[in-house]
Amino acid sequence: MAFYSKEERSKIAVGFFSLLVAAVIMRLFYLQVISHAAYTQVAEENYIRVVPREAPRGLLYDRNGKLLVSNRPSYSIYFIPYQIRNPEEAFRDLSLRLSLPLATPSQLLRGRSKSKYQPIRLLRDVHFKTICVLEENSLDLPGIIYQVERARKYPPRGRGSHLLGYVAEISEAELTRFSRLGYRSGDLMGKKGVERQYDYLLRGQPGVSYLKVTAQGRILGPAGSREPVFPKPGADIKLTVDWELQSVAESLIASRGSGAAVAVDPKSGEILALVSQPNFDPNLFTGVLLDTVWQRLASDSLHPLLNRCLQGTYPPGSTFKILTAAAGLESGRVTTRTLFRTCRGGLAFGNRVFKCWRPQGHGQLTLMDAIAQSCDIYFYQLGEEIGLDLWSGYARRCLFGQLTGIDLPSELSGIIPSRAYFDEEYGEGKWPSTLIVNLAIGQGEILVTPLQMAVFFAAIANGGEILKPHLIREIKYPDGRLVGAQAELLGRLPFSPNTLNLIKAALVKAVNGERGTGRAAILASATVAGKTGTAQNPHGEDHAWFCCFAPAEDPRIAIAIVVENAGHGGSVAAPVAREMMATYFGGRLPLPAQEGVLMIEGENFW
Amino acid sequence: MRRIDLYLFLPAFLLSLIGIVLIFSALRDSSDQETASYLRQLVWLAVGLLVFMAVSAIAPRIYESLSILSYLVALLLLASLLFFGASRLGATRWLPIGPLSFQPSEFAKVAVILLLAHYLANRKRPQFRVRWALFCFSIVLLPALLILRQPDLGSSLVVVAVVPGMLFWGGMPITHIALLLSPVVSLLAAFHWLTWAIFMLVIIVTLLVVRPTLRFALWVLVTNLAAGIFTPLVWQRLHDYQKMRILTFLNPARDPQGAGYQMIQSKIAIGSGGLLGKGFLQGTQSKLAYLPARHTDFIFSVLGEEFGLLGCLVVLILFSVIILRGVQVARKARNRFLSLTAFGATTILAFQVLVNIGVTMGLAPVTGLPLPFMSYGGSSMLLSWSLIGLLSLVSYTWQEY
Repeated sequence: MAFYSKEERSKIAVGFFSLLVAAVIMRLFYLQVISHAAYTQVAEENYIRVVPREAPRGLLYDRNGKLLVSNRPSYSIYFIPYQIRNPEEAFRDLSLRLSLPLATPSQLLRGRSKSKYQPIRLLRDVHFKTICVLEENSLDLPGIIYQVERARKYPPRGRGSHLLGYVAEISEAELTRFSRLGYRSGDLMGKKGVERQYDYLLRGQPGVSYLKVTAQGRILGPAGSREPVFPKPGADIKLTVDWELQSVAESLIASRGSGAAVAVDPKSGEILALVSQPNFDPNLFTGVLLDTVWQRLASDSLHPLLNRCLQGTYPPGSTFKILTAAAGLESGRVTTRTLFRTCRGGLAFGNRVFKCWRPQGHGQLTLMDAIAQSCDIYFYQLGEEIGLDLWSGYARRCLFGQLTGIDLPSELSGIIPSRAYFDEEYGEGKWPSTLIVNLAIGQGEILVTPLQMAVFFAAIANGGEILKPHLIREIKYPDGRLVGAQAELLGRLPFSPNTLNLIKAALVKAVNGERGTGRAAILASATVAGKTGTAQNPHGEDHAWFCCFAPAEDPRIAIAIVVENAGHGGSVAAPVAREMMATYFGGRLPLPAQEGVLMIEGENFW
Repeated sequence: MRRIDLYLFLPAFLLSLIGIVLIFSALRDSSDQETASYLRQLVWLAVGLLVFMAVSAIAPRIYESLSILSYLVALLLLASLLFFGASRLGATRWLPIGPLSFQPSEFAKVAVILLLAHYLANRKRPQFRVRWALFCFSIVLLPALLILRQPDLGSSLVVVAVVPGMLFWGGMPITHIALLLSPVVSLLAAFHWLTWAIFMLVIIVTLLVVRPTLRFALWVLVTNLAAGIFTPLVWQRLHDYQKMRILTFLNPARDPQGAGYQMIQSKIAIGSGGLLGKGFLQGTQSKLAYLPARHTDFIFSVLGEEFGLLGCLVVLILFSVIILRGVQVARKARNRFLSLTAFGATTILAFQVLVNIGVTMGLAPVTGLPLPFMSYGGSSMLLSWSLIGLLSLVSYTWQEY
């Protein structure tokens, strides 16, 4: 190769340098012009700390204005990813220092597109002692900060836990399902009960503040370039429940074991009490839920998380004789004077003997006495007389086997067997026709919820209107607007006023009559109309039922009670109803009760 | 007193002032000790101007006669760091002189230029010998290793990079320089056998076309083969942390919390500056300390953030004026020694400017090189101004005739 002259070499050098400068300028252009917007955003995410401000969640009151669920200040622990060099190690260290279990960093960071300068919530509602430990160790725990937020405060001892529900952080599955409703990762969400059902009213709209922060995490004040958004509080809700009644009912059921009690206002469908025992403490879910606690709740053989009022399905036992009786009267298969074969404690249908609960027998009874004394032999024969098709038709028209549509999540519909149902279960025609005999006394494959029974008895009480049970009395929006709830008619009982009056009279007799099975529910201040039930179940002792309403002349409350594996409805469940009614009426009953009884008894001439 | 070459002095002076303004801005909200840095830099500028005048006042022939001595002194100073060096931030680069301290590596850069210029100026044969080139590399080998040991990868690279520049100016054909440096490329290409095979093919073709001496051709082939074969073997024997360190150096984005952090934050600073910048004292990346080493190696990022593309272009133009003038001075110099000295000084300035800016824009690995005139620090300021002094000196000799 030839030597280049000095001139040529200087040209090459200048050309080479110019090329490199051109490359630098192109790169500058790329960074500062083409990617400018993206880098501006990253720069802002660097120094502007977005502090979400949760909206104060709406409060819950009972029908008399008693505060049930409120918000209290609580401490949350956050971490700032970029200040933590080795997250795995840092979290292990933190977990040891605070003696609390922590999620792994990868779990927390999954699905988050946030800048690593933005704090991510690690723990909610930690104990004040934990914050003290955090403060003491703050120099050894860079990137770990805490903040004061709000946590839910629920009534003590789990009272009303199934009705009120609880809130917890939204899960990943819920996030994908509900993201279009504006939920974001880390948001609180109602998980059960009213908290879940009315989450959209209660949660309000979160706000946000913007803080200017140095790389070392020092906060310099609000970032002037962005306006803060103030959170909009959620709406307050006045529930239909009477907390005094609810509390009394909780203790009554709890003292007898597990079970449910539902009280409804027959005029409006308002739920006055909704008790499921055993209950759980919703306050456990506000903060760090220890795995062991969750395991204990979820695997408890008594299923404390189950809301027995609408998710517990039981055979109704003798309480269902009311439906059978009404169906018989309405269809004209029986009158109040019809007599069947005498009860001697048992009767053969086909090749099987069906027993009465009273081994010595009831003798020959009319319908009214058969209801009052709950004679099984009478109802076996009435059931056979009515037949499966007619019976299940009436049951379905009373909305059994269907959801009541109460404003709580996860209601179950129960089962009203029909010809189609049995064909499906056993094969067409491969089932004995005597199944109706058992169904007529509320045994066999029939399943109902306590809520359905309460709604049914409320409908009998109010003259036949099946009203949708509901929990909301009034909504108070943050702007002061008040919205009340209306009674909603689901349908009418398929029974004439005559039939209903007869049924009512029989119910009064079942409680107040000399040989009534529900005498334990007699009240001095009001006439109680009710029916006991003792439902056999294959899993153990009988379930004790009692369904009633009072005062019979002008019903103000209808109640359905079931106590699991507790024995006779008359001795176990009826006293619970009595105490509940006494509490509810508590001296504010205007009627002199005795007159009413006389009046209805006076009609007893069929 | 001779006339000052304004094409060199003015841009250098302006860049120094811009640097002081940026240092003021970068450290304004830091501790008082740091906030006063711009005042110290002002003092360094004054000292730098004195050095500039001193360097440009000395007679040119004295440099040539002192070239070997200054090289030996530089070696001695670098070696003495092993015994008397002051450590800062894990590196031993400073030699304490009373209350002040001084970086021998900066002096070594000047000494290496002088010795290389002296050696190459006296190779009078018309045909450039490969042996000369190898000797040039051996001249810088010892200082480069001593500087690398401090550790100061950036300065070490500068000392090595000046050699190909001066070889080129000394008359070595570019193809020969490229072939001479080809084993370095082989070293990297060897990680992927196909890439390396293609590269070897390119070398063989180049050898056939260029037709250098047989000895040189053999040397090129052997060194490339050795690099290609031994790299994978050595790589396999490295510990995982050593591999990680090398990979992270080549691609800082692999470690966004560590080595990549500076580069990422620097790109954010420059990118968010936009066309006109966020304005003086308005940079959030630098003000709020997201940008590390913002007053030293990453001063250009502060410029990009607060003064935008416009500010960057102004600074690039000022640097380009110095570099282009430097080439012109080298071209018109009175003798070979001065010409080579001027080109060496220009090469060092250009290399430091381009690598430093490249690092801030994420184009080059983070090596830790200051930006001449602008980065905070006395040694860098003194070196920059002594290089301008050397260029001015050569410029006078040309303009005197």
